[in-house]
Amino acid sequence: MNVPVDPKTLVAEMSPVSTSEQIATMKKALLKNIQRSAYVYRVDCGGCNGCEIEIFSSITPVFDAERFGIKVVASPRHADILLFTGAVTRSMRMPALRAYEAAPDPKIVVSYGACGCTGGIFHDLYCVWGGTDNIVPVDVYIPGCPPTPAATIHGFAVALGLLEQKLKAETHVEAAGETAALPHPDIPYALRVRLEREARRMAGYRQGRDIAEEFMALLEGHAHTPGSFSLSERMLEAIGEERDPRRAEIIARLADVVQRAIRGEAPRGEAP
Amino acid sequence: MLKLLKEIFRTGEATVKYPFAPMPVCKDFRGKPEHKAEDCIACAACTVACPANAIQMETDTAAGSRTWSINYGRCVFCGRCEESCPTGAIRLSDDFELAVGSKADLTRKAVFTLADCACCGKPFAPAKEVDYVARLLSQSARSAEEADRLRLTAATCPACKRAQDVHHIAGMGIARQMEAGLSKTGKPAKELETTP
Repeated sequence: MNVPVDPKTLVAEMSPVSTSEQIATMKKALLKNIQRSAYVYRVDCGGCNGCEIEIFSSITPVFDAERFGIKVVASPRHADILLFTGAVTRSMRMPALRAYEAAPDPKIVVSYGACGCTGGIFHDLYCVWGGTDNIVPVDVYIPGCPPTPAATIHGFAVALGLLEQKLKAETHVEAAGETAALPHPDIPYALRVRLEREARRMAGYRQGRDIAEEFMALLEGHAHTPGSFSLSERMLEAIGEERDPRRAEIIARLADVVQRAIRGEAPRGEAP
Repeated sequence: MLKLLKEIFRTGEATVKYPFAPMPVCKDFRGKPEHKAEDCIACAACTVACPANAIQMETDTAAGSRTWSINYGRCVFCGRCEESCPTGAIRLSDDFELAVGSKADLTRKAVFTLADCACCGKPFAPAKEVDYVARLLSQSARSAEEADRLRLTAATCPACKRAQDVHHIAGMGIARQMEAGLSKTGKPAKELETTP
């Protein structure tokens, strides 16, 4: 007979690492008047090494974290700050805990990168713990995939209590009668779809949308200002002003789409 | 020595001023996704596109609300949400200073109300989405009646639409049977073949 299995019994429950009050007061005192360099030990808990590359680029001369005394050291026994990267894989949990235990108190734990903060894109994998905070208490989270060197420096400044964090949890509640504005109400919907499709086909989703938006703003702006120019002249003017030949080609194609729509022809590549 | 000094003066200072001066970012930098909840229609396109499941949506039919949420800690800054957004409500900004002390500050939420179906009265889609689709459809409608009909279609839930379609098709079937009966009595059978 199949006995129903309680899924909780299949997962090992690990006791979380706790810190005593004494250590917490020591940490506060350390942060309050830190008169020396802060040494960083980097713990890789199964990341892709993208974060490591950004950490090392933040100690290069361009970003130079060492001017603030932030120095990467080779042993957790020298460290003040532990930098955990990667989505804590099952096999890296024990080494990560050993590094945590080896660092002297008081220590600041920083969770680095999207994987370190929450598990990132690997959050629901069978073999990951999904975030540093599942194994050790974390003081500061630096999100990013990977965080840029500037974000890294900002994160260290937040960890050392030099800068305030900028993000705050917010909840927006829909107001009564709140409506989303229709984009470009003066341009027929079918034409707008054709323009966006053509621009995105030529320039990709992100840049294509930007170009389509610019083009439609041009179309609308000219329609509202009285002038003796005909539509094709306006288009030629816009194409002539464009410096980038790739963008000029895309705008020419968009102008062609508009001309075809005006003449009532089917767009290129579609049966009439 | 002089050569070295010359080289140092020629190179200048390579280090950025960052924490003391704002950091310039390049064009199309992919920073923190900024969500304008006023423009959002809660269509869930971004939740489907998000590869890391940083953006999620929960629908609570009992309370008649849909909660959109983003977890910046899970975001991989790929920009797929921005690509898929039909209204341009979500856009990747230049902001990269995301470090926080508590994990709760990494999430941002927006609560939207659900609209009730015009036919059965059960909540089925966000009110803003229904309103947006109705306005978009009536914009391209040829007549006022067609616009009204399209607006009603947009405000009907899929289950009711299906039921109405079944009803409609059943009605068509009777009409066709009657036509077939007529053709037996008087009209030529050729017409029966041509009817779809």
